[in-house]
Amino acid sequence: MSEVIVVTSGKGGVGKTTSTANIGAGLARLNKKVVLVDTDIGLRNLDVVMGLENRIIYNLVDVIEGNCRVKQALIRDRHYSGLYLLPSAQTRDKSAVTPEQMVKLADTLRQTFDYIIMDCPAGIEQGFRNAVAPADRAIVVTTPEVSAIRDADRIIGLLESSGLRKIDLVINRIRMDMVRRGEMMSVEDVLDILSVNLIGAVPDEESVVIAANHGEPVLGNDSQAGEAYLNIARRIMGETVPLLHLQEHTSLFHRIADLLVRK
Amino acid sequence: MNRYQTKSFLTSREIAKTRTELTICADRLDCNPDLLAQMRRDVEEVLSKYINTEEENLEIRMSFLCRWKRGISDVKTIQIK
Repeated sequence: MSEVIVVTSGKGGVGKTTSTANIGAGLARLNKKVVLVDTDIGLRNLDVVMGLENRIIYNLVDVIEGNCRVKQALIRDRHYSGLYLLPSAQTRDKSAVTPEQMVKLADTLRQTFDYIIMDCPAGIEQGFRNAVAPADRAIVVTTPEVSAIRDADRIIGLLESSGLRKIDLVINRIRMDMVRRGEMMSVEDVLDILSVNLIGAVPDEESVVIAANHGEPVLGNDSQAGEAYLNIARRIMGETVPLLHLQEHTSLFHRIADLLVRK
Repeated sequence: MNRYQTKSFLTSREIAKTRTELTICADRLDCNPDLLAQMRRDVEEVLSKYINTEEENLEIRMSFLCRWKRGISDVKTIQIK
Protein backbone atom coordinates (compact mmCIF):
# COMPACT_ATOMS: atom_id res chain seq x y z
CA MET A 1 0.00 0.00 0.00
CA SER A 2 1.42 3.34 -0.95
CA GLU A 3 1.49 6.50 1.10
CA VAL A 4 1.47 10.17 0.10
CA ILE A 5 3.55 12.34 2.44
CA VAL A 6 3.68 16.12 2.37
CA VAL A 7 6.82 17.81 3.72
CA THR A 8 5.94 21.30 4.87
CA SER A 9 6.98 24.02 7.31
CA GLY A 10 5.27 27.35 6.76
CA LYS A 11 8.47 29.30 7.12
CA GLY A 12 10.97 29.18 4.26
CA GLY A 13 14.58 28.17 4.59
CA VAL A 14 14.23 25.64 7.39
CA GLY A 15 15.29 22.70 5.21
CA LYS A 16 12.11 21.34 3.61
CA THR A 17 13.72 20.56 0.28
CA THR A 18 16.89 19.10 1.83
CA SER A 19 14.75 16.98 4.12
CA THR A 20 12.56 15.81 1.23
CA ALA A 21 15.61 14.79 -0.81
CA ASN A 22 17.26 12.94 2.05
CA ILE A 23 14.16 11.23 3.41
CA GLY A 24 13.45 10.10 -0.16
CA ALA A 25 16.99 8.80 -0.52
CA GLY A 26 16.62 7.02 2.83
CA LEU A 27 13.43 5.25 1.79
CA ALA A 28 14.98 4.30 -1.58
CA ARG A 29 17.99 2.91 0.23
CA LEU A 30 15.61 0.75 2.26
CA ASN A 31 14.45 -0.69 -1.08
CA LYS A 32 11.26 1.28 -1.48
CA LYS A 33 10.06 2.82 -4.73
CA VAL A 34 9.87 6.54 -4.08
CA VAL A 35 8.91 9.59 -6.13
CA LEU A 36 9.62 13.12 -4.95
CA VAL A 37 7.27 15.75 -6.34
CA ASP A 38 8.46 19.35 -6.34
CA THR A 39 5.22 21.31 -5.92
CA ASP A 40 6.84 24.74 -5.73
CA ILE A 41 5.75 25.97 -9.15
CA GLY A 42 7.81 28.90 -10.39
CA LEU A 43 10.61 28.37 -7.87
CA ARG A 44 11.88 24.87 -8.44
CA ASN A 45 14.88 23.72 -6.46
CA LEU A 46 14.51 20.07 -5.51
CA ASP A 47 16.15 19.21 -8.86
CA VAL A 48 19.28 21.17 -7.93
CA VAL A 49 19.50 19.67 -4.45
CA MET A 50 19.35 16.21 -6.06
CA GLY A 51 21.80 17.16 -8.83
CA LEU A 52 19.30 16.42 -11.60
CA GLU A 53 18.87 19.94 -12.98
CA ASN A 54 20.35 19.04 -16.38
CA ARG A 55 18.00 16.16 -17.05
CA ILE A 56 14.66 17.91 -16.97
CA ILE A 57 12.58 17.64 -20.12
CA TYR A 58 8.98 17.70 -18.90
CA ASN A 59 7.60 18.97 -15.62
CA LEU A 60 4.65 18.78 -13.22
CA VAL A 61 2.56 21.28 -15.19
CA ASP A 62 3.21 19.40 -18.46
CA VAL A 63 1.91 16.22 -16.84
CA ILE A 64 -1.17 17.92 -15.42
CA GLU A 65 -1.99 19.68 -18.67
CA GLY A 66 -1.55 16.43 -20.56
CA ASN A 67 1.43 17.54 -22.67
CA CYS A 68 3.23 14.31 -21.76
CA ARG A 69 2.71 11.04 -19.90
CA VAL A 70 3.73 10.84 -16.24
CA LYS A 71 6.53 8.40 -17.07
CA GLN A 72 8.12 10.85 -19.51
CA ALA A 73 8.46 13.52 -16.86
CA LEU A 74 9.97 11.29 -14.16
CA ILE A 75 13.74 11.52 -13.71
CA ARG A 76 15.63 8.65 -12.15
CA ASP A 77 18.06 9.55 -9.35
CA ARG A 78 21.80 9.12 -9.97
CA HIS A 79 22.40 7.16 -6.77
CA TYR A 80 19.31 5.13 -5.99
CA SER A 81 17.53 3.19 -8.70
CA GLY A 82 14.22 3.26 -6.82
CA LEU A 83 14.17 7.03 -6.45
CA TYR A 84 12.51 9.37 -8.96
CA LEU A 85 11.89 13.10 -9.23
CA LEU A 86 8.92 14.84 -10.76
CA PRO A 87 10.29 18.37 -11.23
CA SER A 88 8.31 21.55 -10.96
CA ALA A 89 7.82 24.10 -13.72
CA GLN A 90 10.02 27.16 -13.60
CA THR A 91 8.14 29.44 -15.97
CA ARG A 92 4.64 29.07 -14.57
CA ASP A 93 2.99 30.03 -11.29
CA LYS A 94 1.01 28.18 -8.66
CA SER A 95 -2.36 28.97 -10.23
CA ALA A 96 -1.46 26.53 -13.04
CA VAL A 97 -2.48 23.62 -10.81
CA THR A 98 -5.51 22.91 -8.63
CA PRO A 99 -5.77 20.69 -5.53
CA GLU A 100 -8.10 18.31 -7.42
CA GLN A 101 -5.51 17.85 -10.17
CA MET A 102 -2.87 17.06 -7.54
CA VAL A 103 -5.11 14.39 -6.00
CA LYS A 104 -5.56 12.83 -9.45
CA LEU A 105 -1.83 12.93 -10.13
CA ALA A 106 -1.05 11.33 -6.76
CA ASP A 107 -3.54 8.55 -7.47
CA THR A 108 -1.74 7.80 -10.74
CA LEU A 109 1.63 7.74 -8.94
CA ARG A 110 0.25 5.43 -6.23
CA GLN A 111 0.04 2.64 -8.82
CA THR A 112 3.82 2.61 -9.28
CA PHE A 113 5.36 3.89 -6.06
CA ASP A 114 5.43 2.93 -2.38
CA TYR A 115 5.97 6.50 -1.23
CA ILE A 116 5.01 9.75 -2.94
CA ILE A 117 6.63 12.70 -1.18
CA MET A 118 5.37 16.22 -1.88
CA ASP A 119 7.89 18.99 -1.32
CA CYS A 120 5.64 21.86 -0.28
CA PRO A 121 6.40 25.54 -0.99
CA ALA A 122 6.74 27.98 1.91
CA GLY A 123 3.62 29.87 2.94
CA ILE A 124 0.01 28.87 3.42
CA GLU A 125 -1.46 29.85 0.07
CA GLN A 126 -2.49 27.86 -2.97
CA GLY A 127 0.87 26.11 -3.34
CA PHE A 128 0.45 24.77 0.18
CA ARG A 129 -3.13 23.67 -0.48
CA ASN A 130 -2.04 21.92 -3.69
CA ALA A 131 0.67 19.95 -1.91
CA VAL A 132 -1.50 19.02 1.08
CA ALA A 133 -4.62 17.97 -0.86
CA PRO A 134 -3.47 14.43 -1.77
CA ALA A 135 -1.53 13.75 1.44
CA ASP A 136 -2.17 10.83 3.81
CA ARG A 137 0.32 12.14 6.32
CA ALA A 138 2.49 15.20 6.90
CA ILE A 139 6.00 15.84 8.04
CA VAL A 140 6.44 19.32 9.47
CA VAL A 141 10.01 20.62 9.41
CA THR A 142 11.10 23.25 11.90
CA THR A 143 14.28 24.64 13.45
CA PRO A 144 14.83 25.63 17.10
CA GLU A 145 13.98 29.28 16.42
CA VAL A 146 11.05 31.39 17.59
CA SER A 147 9.88 32.26 14.06
CA ALA A 148 10.11 28.71 12.67
CA ILE A 149 8.31 27.16 15.66
CA ARG A 150 5.57 29.75 15.49
CA ASP A 151 4.98 28.99 11.80
CA ALA A 152 5.12 25.24 12.47
CA ASP A 153 2.38 25.66 15.07
CA ARG A 154 0.23 27.51 12.57
CA ILE A 155 0.84 24.86 9.91
CA ILE A 156 -0.02 22.04 12.33
CA GLY A 157 -3.30 23.83 13.09
CA LEU A 158 -4.08 24.16 9.37
CA LEU A 159 -3.20 20.51 8.69
CA GLU A 160 -5.40 19.34 11.56
CA SER A 161 -8.33 21.42 10.43
CA SER A 162 -7.96 20.03 6.89
CA GLY A 163 -8.54 16.60 8.41
CA LEU A 164 -5.00 15.23 8.33
CA ARG A 165 -4.46 13.10 11.40
CA LYS A 166 -0.94 11.76 10.98
CA ILE A 167 1.40 14.68 11.61
CA ASP A 168 5.04 14.23 12.58
CA LEU A 169 7.75 16.74 13.37
CA VAL A 170 11.34 16.98 12.18
CA ILE A 171 13.53 19.39 14.13
CA ASN A 172 16.34 20.48 11.84
CA ARG A 173 19.62 22.34 12.42
CA ILE A 174 20.17 21.53 16.05
CA ARG A 175 23.50 22.64 17.47
CA MET A 176 24.21 20.63 20.57
CA ASP A 177 27.08 22.87 21.65
CA MET A 178 24.70 25.85 21.70
CA VAL A 179 21.97 23.89 23.49
CA ARG A 180 24.46 22.91 26.15
CA ARG A 181 25.55 26.52 26.61
CA GLY A 182 21.90 27.55 27.00
CA GLU A 183 21.90 29.51 23.75
CA MET A 184 19.49 27.38 21.75
CA MET A 185 16.20 25.64 22.44
CA SER A 186 16.55 21.88 22.79
CA VAL A 187 14.48 19.13 21.19
CA GLU A 188 12.54 18.84 24.46
CA ASP A 189 11.84 22.59 24.54
CA VAL A 190 10.38 22.49 21.03
CA LEU A 191 8.28 19.42 21.82
CA ASP A 192 7.00 21.10 25.01
CA ILE A 193 5.70 23.94 22.92
CA LEU A 194 4.35 22.09 19.89
CA SER A 195 3.18 18.83 21.50
CA VAL A 196 3.29 16.79 18.31
CA ASN A 197 4.97 13.47 17.57
CA LEU A 198 8.70 13.78 16.88
CA ILE A 199 9.93 11.68 13.96
CA GLY A 200 13.53 12.92 13.89
CA ALA A 201 16.08 15.48 14.99
CA VAL A 202 18.78 16.50 12.52
CA PRO A 203 21.99 18.21 13.67
CA ASP A 204 23.31 21.31 11.94
CA GLU A 205 26.32 19.99 10.08
CA GLU A 206 28.67 21.14 7.37
CA SER A 207 28.14 17.82 5.61
CA VAL A 208 24.56 18.87 4.72
CA VAL A 209 25.79 22.01 2.92
CA ILE A 210 28.62 20.16 1.22
CA ALA A 211 26.31 17.39 0.00
CA ALA A 212 23.87 19.97 -1.36
CA ASN A 213 26.77 21.76 -3.10
CA HIS A 214 27.50 18.52 -4.95
CA GLY A 215 23.82 17.79 -5.56
CA GLU A 216 24.03 14.59 -3.59
CA PRO A 217 22.17 13.18 -0.60
CA VAL A 218 23.90 13.54 2.76
CA LEU A 219 22.99 9.90 3.34
CA GLY A 220 25.89 7.49 3.33
CA ASN A 221 28.39 10.24 4.08
CA ASP A 222 29.08 8.78 7.47
CA SER A 223 27.64 11.92 9.03
CA GLN A 224 25.20 12.26 11.91
CA ALA A 225 22.80 14.21 9.72
CA GLY A 226 22.80 11.36 7.18
CA GLU A 227 22.15 8.84 9.91
CA ALA A 228 19.35 11.00 11.31
CA TYR A 229 17.64 11.11 7.90
CA LEU A 230 17.97 7.35 7.44
CA ASN A 231 16.39 6.88 10.86
CA ILE A 232 13.51 9.15 9.85
CA ALA A 233 12.98 6.96 6.77
CA ARG A 234 12.91 3.87 9.01
CA ARG A 235 10.36 5.47 11.33
CA ILE A 236 8.18 6.41 8.35
CA MET A 237 8.16 2.70 7.45
CA GLY A 238 6.94 1.94 10.97
CA GLU A 239 10.16 0.76 12.59
CA THR A 240 10.92 1.85 16.13
CA VAL A 241 14.33 3.49 16.08
CA PRO A 242 15.68 5.22 19.19
CA LEU A 243 16.57 8.89 18.81
CA LEU A 244 20.20 9.56 17.89
CA HIS A 245 22.28 10.81 20.73
CA LEU A 246 23.61 13.94 19.05
CA GLN A 247 27.25 14.56 19.68
CA GLU A 248 29.24 17.70 19.45
CA HIS A 249 32.14 17.97 17.12
CA THR A 250 34.25 20.31 19.16
CA SER A 251 37.94 20.22 19.72
CA LEU A 252 39.56 19.77 23.11
CA PHE A 253 40.61 23.41 22.97
CA HIS A 254 37.00 24.56 22.52
CA ARG A 255 35.80 22.40 25.36
CA ILE A 256 38.40 23.82 27.74
CA ALA A 257 37.71 27.37 26.59
CA ASP A 258 34.02 26.73 27.08
CA LEU A 259 34.59 25.49 30.63
CA LEU A 260 36.60 28.58 31.49
CA VAL A 261 34.00 30.94 30.06
CA ARG A 262 31.21 29.24 31.95
CA LYS A 263 32.99 29.55 35.30
CA MET B 1 28.47 40.34 28.47
CA ASN B 2 26.60 40.78 25.27
CA ARG B 3 23.57 42.97 25.06
CA TYR B 4 21.17 40.10 24.51
CA GLN B 5 21.85 38.76 27.96
CA THR B 6 20.29 41.69 29.75
CA LYS B 7 17.70 39.65 31.66
CA SER B 8 20.40 38.69 34.09
CA PHE B 9 19.70 35.08 34.99
CA LEU B 10 17.92 33.96 31.88
CA THR B 11 19.83 32.26 29.10
CA SER B 12 18.87 33.12 25.52
CA ARG B 13 17.42 29.60 25.30
CA GLU B 14 14.98 30.39 28.13
CA ILE B 15 14.14 33.76 26.65
CA ALA B 16 13.49 32.14 23.26
CA LYS B 17 11.27 29.51 24.83
CA THR B 18 9.20 32.05 26.75
CA ARG B 19 8.86 34.26 23.71
CA THR B 20 7.79 31.33 21.54
CA GLU B 21 5.21 30.18 24.08
CA LEU B 22 3.80 33.68 24.46
CA THR B 23 3.62 34.28 20.71
CA ILE B 24 1.99 30.93 19.98
CA CYS B 25 -0.42 31.40 22.85
CA ALA B 26 -1.33 34.82 21.49
CA ASP B 27 -1.75 33.34 17.99
CA ARG B 28 -3.97 30.53 19.19
CA LEU B 29 -6.14 32.75 21.35
CA ASP B 30 -6.13 35.42 18.68
CA CYS B 31 -5.04 37.87 21.35
CA ASN B 32 -2.37 40.55 21.29
CA PRO B 33 0.94 39.55 23.00
CA ASP B 34 0.81 42.89 24.85
CA LEU B 35 -2.50 41.92 26.37
CA LEU B 36 -1.03 38.59 27.48
CA ALA B 37 1.85 40.44 29.09
CA GLN B 38 -0.67 42.72 30.81
CA MET B 39 -2.55 39.65 32.04
CA ARG B 40 0.68 38.31 33.38
CA ARG B 41 1.38 41.54 35.28
CA ASP B 42 -2.14 41.49 36.71
CA VAL B 43 -1.75 37.90 37.91
CA GLU B 44 1.56 38.82 39.51
CA GLU B 45 -0.10 41.75 41.22
CA VAL B 46 -2.84 39.54 42.61
CA LEU B 47 -0.29 37.03 43.87
CA SER B 48 1.72 39.74 45.57
CA LYS B 49 -1.42 40.81 47.44
CA TYR B 50 -1.35 37.55 49.35
CA ILE B 51 2.30 36.65 49.37
CA ASN B 52 4.97 39.04 50.46
CA THR B 53 7.25 38.56 47.53
CA GLU B 54 9.90 40.96 48.85
CA GLU B 55 10.21 39.38 52.26
CA GLU B 56 10.13 35.79 51.18
CA ASN B 57 12.54 36.57 48.40
CA LEU B 58 10.11 34.88 46.11
CA GLU B 59 10.53 35.03 42.41
CA ILE B 60 7.43 34.66 40.34
CA ARG B 61 8.08 33.14 36.97
CA MET B 62 5.18 32.53 34.73
CA SER B 63 4.74 30.90 31.42
CA PHE B 64 1.57 30.46 29.49
CA LEU B 65 0.69 27.16 28.01
CA CYS B 66 -2.37 26.84 25.89
CA ARG B 67 -3.62 23.56 24.68
CA TRP B 68 -6.03 23.59 21.87
CA LYS B 69 -8.15 20.52 21.62
CA ARG B 70 -10.02 20.09 18.42
CA GLY B 71 -13.34 18.37 18.65
CA ILE B 72 -16.92 19.15 17.81
CA SER B 73 -16.23 22.58 19.22
CA ASP B 74 -12.81 23.98 19.94
CA VAL B 75 -11.82 23.84 23.56
CA LYS B 76 -9.24 26.33 24.66
CA THR B 77 -7.38 25.76 27.88
CA ILE B 78 -5.03 28.33 29.28
CA GLN B 79 -2.70 26.93 31.82
CA ILE B 80 -0.58 29.28 33.85
CA LYS B 81 2.48 27.63 35.27
